Amino acid sequence: MEIKDHNDLFSQPVYQAQFEAKKEFENPAAQSEIDRVSAWTQTDEYRELNFAREGVVINPCKACQPLGAVLVSLGFEKTLPFVQGSQGCTSYFRSHLSRHFKEPIATVSSSMTEDAAVFGGMSNMSEGLENCNALYSPDMIAVSTTCMAEVIGDDLGAYITNSKDAGAVPRELPVPFAHTPSFSGSHLNGYDVMLKGILEELAKPGEPNGKINIIPGFDGYAGNLREIKRMLTVMGVDFTMLADYSDVVDSGNTGHYELYPTGGTTLADAADAVNAIATISLQRVASAKTGELITKQWEQEFVAVGEPVGINATDAFLAEVSRITGKCVPAELEAERARAVDVIVDSHPYVHGKRLAMLGDPDLLLGLISFALEIGMKPVHVVCTNGDKKFKKAAEAMLAASPFGSEATVHNKKDMWHLRSLMFTEPVDLLMGPSNAKFLWKDTGTPFFRVGFPLFDRHHLHKRTILGYEGTTNLLTDIVNLVLDEMDRHAITSDSPSFDLVR
Amino acid sequence: MIRQIAIYGKGGIGKSTTTQNTVAALAEAGKKVMIVGCDPKADSTRLILNKKMQNTVMDMARDAGSVEDLELEEVLQSGYGDVKCAESGGPEPGVGCAGRGVITAINFLEEEGAYTDDLDFVFYDVLGDVVCGGFAMPMREGKAQEIYIVTSGEMMAMYAANNIARGILKYAHSGGIRLGGLICNSRNTDREDELIEALASKLGTQMIHFIPRENEVQRAELRRQTVIQYNPEHAQADEYRTLAKKIAENTNFVIPTPISMDELEELLMEFGIMEADIVDEPVAVA
Amino acid sequence: MTTPSVKINQTQKVIDEILSVYPEKARADRALHFKPNDPTSDCSSCVVKSNVKSRPGVMTVRGCAYAGSKGVVWGPVKDVIHISHGPVGCGAYSNWSRRNYYNGETGIDSFATMHVTSDFQERDIVYGGDKKLATIVDELDGLFPLAKGISVQSECPVGLIGDDIESVAKAKTADIGKPVVPVRCEGFRGVSQSLGHHIANDAIRDHVFDKQATDIETTPYDVTVIGDYNIGGDAWASRRILEEMGLRVIAQWTGDATMAELANAPKAKLNLIHCYRSMNYICRHMEETYGVPWVEYNFFGPTKIYESIRRIAENFDDTIKANAEVLIEKMKPEMDAVIAEYKPLLEGKTVMLYVGGLRPRHVIGAYEDLGMEIIAAGYEFGHNDEYKRTYPLLEEGSIIVDDATPYELEEIAKRLKPDLVGSGIKEKYAYHKMGVPFRQMHSWDYSGPYHGFDGFKIFARDMDMTVNSPVWGLVRDVTSTECATPSGAERQAS
Repeated sequence: MEIKDHNDLFSQPVYQAQFEAKKEFENPAAQSEIDRVSAWTQTDEYRELNFAREGVVINPCKACQPLGAVLVSLGFEKTLPFVQGSQGCTSYFRSHLSRHFKEPIATVSSSMTEDAAVFGGMSNMSEGLENCNALYSPDMIAVSTTCMAEVIGDDLGAYITNSKDAGAVPRELPVPFAHTPSFSGSHLNGYDVMLKGILEELAKPGEPNGKINIIPGFDGYAGNLREIKRMLTVMGVDFTMLADYSDVVDSGNTGHYELYPTGGTTLADAADAVNAIATISLQRVASAKTGELITKQWEQEFVAVGEPVGINATDAFLAEVSRITGKCVPAELEAERARAVDVIVDSHPYVHGKRLAMLGDPDLLLGLISFALEIGMKPVHVVCTNGDKKFKKAAEAMLAASPFGSEATVHNKKDMWHLRSLMFTEPVDLLMGPSNAKFLWKDTGTPFFRVGFPLFDRHHLHKRTILGYEGTTNLLTDIVNLVLDEMDRHAITSDSPSFDLVR
Repeated sequence: MIRQIAIYGKGGIGKSTTTQNTVAALAEAGKKVMIVGCDPKADSTRLILNKKMQNTVMDMARDAGSVEDLELEEVLQSGYGDVKCAESGGPEPGVGCAGRGVITAINFLEEEGAYTDDLDFVFYDVLGDVVCGGFAMPMREGKAQEIYIVTSGEMMAMYAANNIARGILKYAHSGGIRLGGLICNSRNTDREDELIEALASKLGTQMIHFIPRENEVQRAELRRQTVIQYNPEHAQADEYRTLAKKIAENTNFVIPTPISMDELEELLMEFGIMEADIVDEPVAVA
Repeated sequence: MTTPSVKINQTQKVIDEILSVYPEKARADRALHFKPNDPTSDCSSCVVKSNVKSRPGVMTVRGCAYAGSKGVVWGPVKDVIHISHGPVGCGAYSNWSRRNYYNGETGIDSFATMHVTSDFQERDIVYGGDKKLATIVDELDGLFPLAKGISVQSECPVGLIGDDIESVAKAKTADIGKPVVPVRCEGFRGVSQSLGHHIANDAIRDHVFDKQATDIETTPYDVTVIGDYNIGGDAWASRRILEEMGLRVIAQWTGDATMAELANAPKAKLNLIHCYRSMNYICRHMEETYGVPWVEYNFFGPTKIYESIRRIAENFDDTIKANAEVLIEKMKPEMDAVIAEYKPLLEGKTVMLYVGGLRPRHVIGAYEDLGMEIIAAGYEFGHNDEYKRTYPLLEEGSIIVDDATPYELEEIAKRLKPDLVGSGIKEKYAYHKMGVPFRQMHSWDYSGPYHGFDGFKIFARDMDMTVNSPVWGLVRDVTSTECATPSGAERQAS
C-alpha cells in the first residue's frame, strides 16, 4: 500500500488547491509585497537596521544557565539533578537534552507555583528532596535554580540545611547547589557554577594523588569526552574527568532502563580532585568560576587550554598535558596525527579558500577557527551569542595571525538573524553551526555543516568525536564530503559535465 | 577574618546615618571597613564619600549592558578613613525588583574580589524590613554573621524590629547568623531607653547602645559628612565612637526570640505608648 | 455500590504496589490520581483527582503555563510575532519543536518557527522590562513590516517583578497600528500547561474578537477548526474532509492560522473543536457571546471519523448530510484496505498512553480500528471533564492515571508489559532502553499527519513499523550472555 506522509502528501494537487483557497480567510499580504520585503531583507540597508537592534534578540544561539547545571550534574555517578523553581523549565531541560542525545534524561523539579512565588520555595525544596530521594535513590542530588527561584531570592544553602535538619534526606547525602539565574550568562555559566558547587561540596583535601583533572566543559559530544579519555590513557596519564557524562548520555540498550546508567565520575574521584597536580579545562568560559576555586581555594594549577579541534590545537593540548605530567606524547598519538595530516593534505584542494560563516559556543568556535585556518579555509562571519570580551579578543588575535583570517569579523553577542543579514550581504561557501542554523541554509542556500550543540535533526553525531587527531580526521572527512556532495548535486541540477567519478 | 555586619531597621529610622557614623568611628580607630549599601535609594555611603551619590552597581550594569561587563573600580570607591564604599542601587519605587538588585550586587562584589583579606569589617546597610528574599541576601551563609537592628521608641519602629527578628530567626537555624543587639536611635519619646531595653530583653538580646537625638548630626549631614568627620570634638561623635567600640567588642550574639503581636502591644501599653481603648483600630504593619 | 470486579481488584493491587515506594504524604496524594477503570458504574469509584499541583521532586512530565500559551495556543499563529518575554531559555527550548506546520515565508510574512526573545539580563529584572519591551516592539515593527501583530508571552520573572506589560501593549498598539497582545502566561501560574491554554484563550477573547478586522462574507456552511495545531499537517488533513463535505472552513485554530482567522471565528455557524482541553474556553465564550454553537469531533481512525462526520453533518442541511454519506462511502474501501493490511499485524497488541490534551482518549478509537487494546491511559494535565469522557471508552480494570511520574509509568510498563507505549520525548528513550516499542504521541515522532483519512494510513503504518520492527529482537541483556564479564556481573549486582 502506498502511503504518503507529510514529506510528500501536501505537494499533491488536492492540498495545493486547499492552501490556495485557504488564503481567502487568511488576509495574507500581497505576493508582490512578500517578494519586495523578502528582497529588502537581503540588502545592506536591512543589515544596518538589523544591527541597530538594542532590545530584541532573534534566534539566539544559546540556552540558559540551569541547562548547563543539569548536564554537568549528569556527569557524576548516580547523581540526580534537582531544579528549584517552576516545573516547566525542568521539562524543557529534559526534552532539550533528550532531543540532542536521544537518551532519557532524569531531572526533577521542585514544582514551585504561585504560592511559592509569595512565600518562597522552602517547603517545595524540602518535600522535593524527600520525594526524589525515596523514588529515585540518588547518591547525590545536585540543586540548581530557575529564574523564578532567583527573582524571589531563594537561599539554597539555608533551604538544604533546613531540609536535612527536618530529616527530608539523610545528612550525609551530598546535596551541592548552585544559583543559576537564566537572566545572566548562558548554559556555559550554569555548567561552571554547578561544577564548582559539586566540587566544593565533595572535596576532601588529603595526600597529593599525582593525577590531573580534566574539565571538558559543556560539550554536546559524548564522543569528545571519550576521545579525551582515550588520548590521556594512551599517554599513560592518571586523570579524573570532571564531569564525565559520556556513558550517561550515551548508554547501551540492554533491555533495562537504568535511571542512572553505569558511568559518570565517581563521587570518590570527584572528592579527590582537590589533591591533583593540576586541572586542565577545555572550555574557559564554562570553567571560569571553577578555575577560581581551583587556583584560590585549592591552590592548584589551573589551565584553560581550549578545545583541541584540529592539528595545532591538539598539539597544544597534548603539549600542555605533557608539560604538567612529564609524560611524552607516544608514538600511537603521533601516528594518529600523521594520519590526520595525511587526510588534510589529500583533501586540501576542495576546502582551500572556502569562505565560512561560523556559529556556536565561544570555546568551540575558537577551536573551529584554529582548524579552519590550518586547512586553508577562510572564516568570514564568526557569530557568537554567548561569548565574552576575552573570547572576542582571542578570536580576533587568532584570525589576525593568519592570512586566511584577513576577511573575518567576530560578532559577539549577536544572533542568527544578524548572521542572516551577513550571509545575504556577504555570501559565503559554507555555514558551520548547530541544528538551529538550518533555516539559514534554507534561506540563503549556503551548504550547512552541523557542528556544536544542539544537534537535533541528524542522528548520532554526538557519539562521534571532533576533538584530537581522530576528531580532526572526522571533521575533515565530513566537511570535504559535504563539499563534494554539493558539487555533485550542482552538477545534477545544472546538468553540468562536472560529475566526476574520481575526486 | 572579616567581620560582616548587617544593619536593618524600618525606613527613615536613621540606619544609614548610624551606620556611616559608626563606620567612620571604626575607621578613625584604624579599622579597615567596607560599606555595602543595599537600598535602591543609594544613600548608604554619601556621608563617607562626601558626595551626593556614587555610581551604583546596578546603574552601571544597566549602562554597560550586563553585570559581567562591569569593572570593580567603577563601583567601589574610597572615602573618609579609606572606607570602601559600594551601593547596590536599583529601580525607582514601583518597578522591577530591588531585592534582586541586592543579590546581583553582592554576587558581583564577591566575584570581583571586593572582599579583600585586609578588611576588618564589612557593613551592609539594608533597606527597611526584610520584605523579600533579596533583602535577606546579607543574612545568607557566608555573608553577614551578625545583625543589628536600628529602632526607636516609636511604635512602628518596634513593629519593624520584631519583624526583622523573625527574618533572622528563619536564617539562624540554617546558618550562623545571629542578632547582636538593638541600636536605639532616639526620637525623644517617653522612657525610650527603658522601652527598648524591655523589647531587647523580650527578643533575647541587648540594647547595645542608646544614641541621643542631636542636631549636630543633621548639620553634618547637610555637608555630606559624618559627625566624626565634621565635628570630631562634639559629644555626639563620642556616642558613635562608643557604639563602634561596643560593636567591635560585642560577644552577645543570640538567635532572637521574636514576640507575638499581642505581646508587643502589651509591652507598648505597659509603657503607655498604646492606650488600651485604641487597640482595636487597624494598625498598619511596616 | 456494587462489589468491584476481580479485574478491578487486580489492577488496584498493582497500583498499591507501585505507590508503596512513596513517602507517606506523596503516596496518599498520588493514590487519588491513580485508579482502575470502571466503565459500568457512574464512575464514582474511578474518578481520579486532576488539575492540582504536582508533588515536588517526583519528576512530573508536565510543563508550564508558558508552554500552554506560547508553545500550544499562540505559537502556531503564523503571521504574528511571538515575543518570549523574559530570559532566553523558554524560547530556546520551545522553539520549532512542536511541528506546527504552516505555509508562508519565514521571517517575511510568517514567523512561527522563529525564536524572538527579550533575553532578560540582571538589569531588566532589577529595573523592570517595560521599557525594553517597548523598544522591542518598535524594532520588530521596523524589521518585519508584514507581521499582522505581536504577542507578548510572559515568562516567570515578568510576573514576579510586577512589570505592567498591559499598558506597554496598549500604548504600542496605538503606536504601530497593529495589535500588541499581552499574555500573562508566566510559568509559575497554575499547575501545568493547562492554565496557559486558558490564559491564551482569554487573550484572544480580549484582544482579537471585535477588535481585529474580519471582512469575510458568510455562508450557511461556515465552520471553524478549533484546537488543531497542524502537527505534521493534521489540520490540513482534517480540513480536506470538511471541505469535501461541502463545508467552508473560515478559521483554523491555530495550526497554520493567521490573525484574521482568529478574528473570523465568531462568524462561524458552528465551531468544531478537536482539542477540547486547550480551547473549550473560547468555544464557550463564542457560544455565550456570539451564539455560535460548538461540537466536539474526533478525526483519529475511520470509526471515529465516520461518527464525527455524521455528527457534524447533523448540524447542517440535507445537502451536507448527503455529502457526508457520499464521502464515507467513498473513503470506506480505502480505510478498509488499510485495516485489512495492518489489523492482522496489530490485532491484540496492548497499548499504554500517557499524553496531554485530547489524545489519551481521542486515539483510542484509532487503535481499536487496528484491533489494539488500551490497557492504561493518562493525561499530563487533564481536568475532570476529560476523565469523565475517558472512563466509558476504556475497558474495565485498565489503569487511569493523572499527572503520572516516570517512575509510575515505568512500573506500569514492567508489570503490564504493553506492546506499545505512546507518550513524549522525555519518556521515549527510557522505553527504548526497556525494549518496549514506543511512539511519540505529541509530535507524531516526526511523522504525521495522523488526523483524517490521510492521517490514519500513516498512523497505521507507523504503529506497525514500531510494534513489528525486527530491531526489538536485537536487544540483549549483557548480563544474560553466557560468558559474563566481571563488569557485567557488577552491573547485575547493582
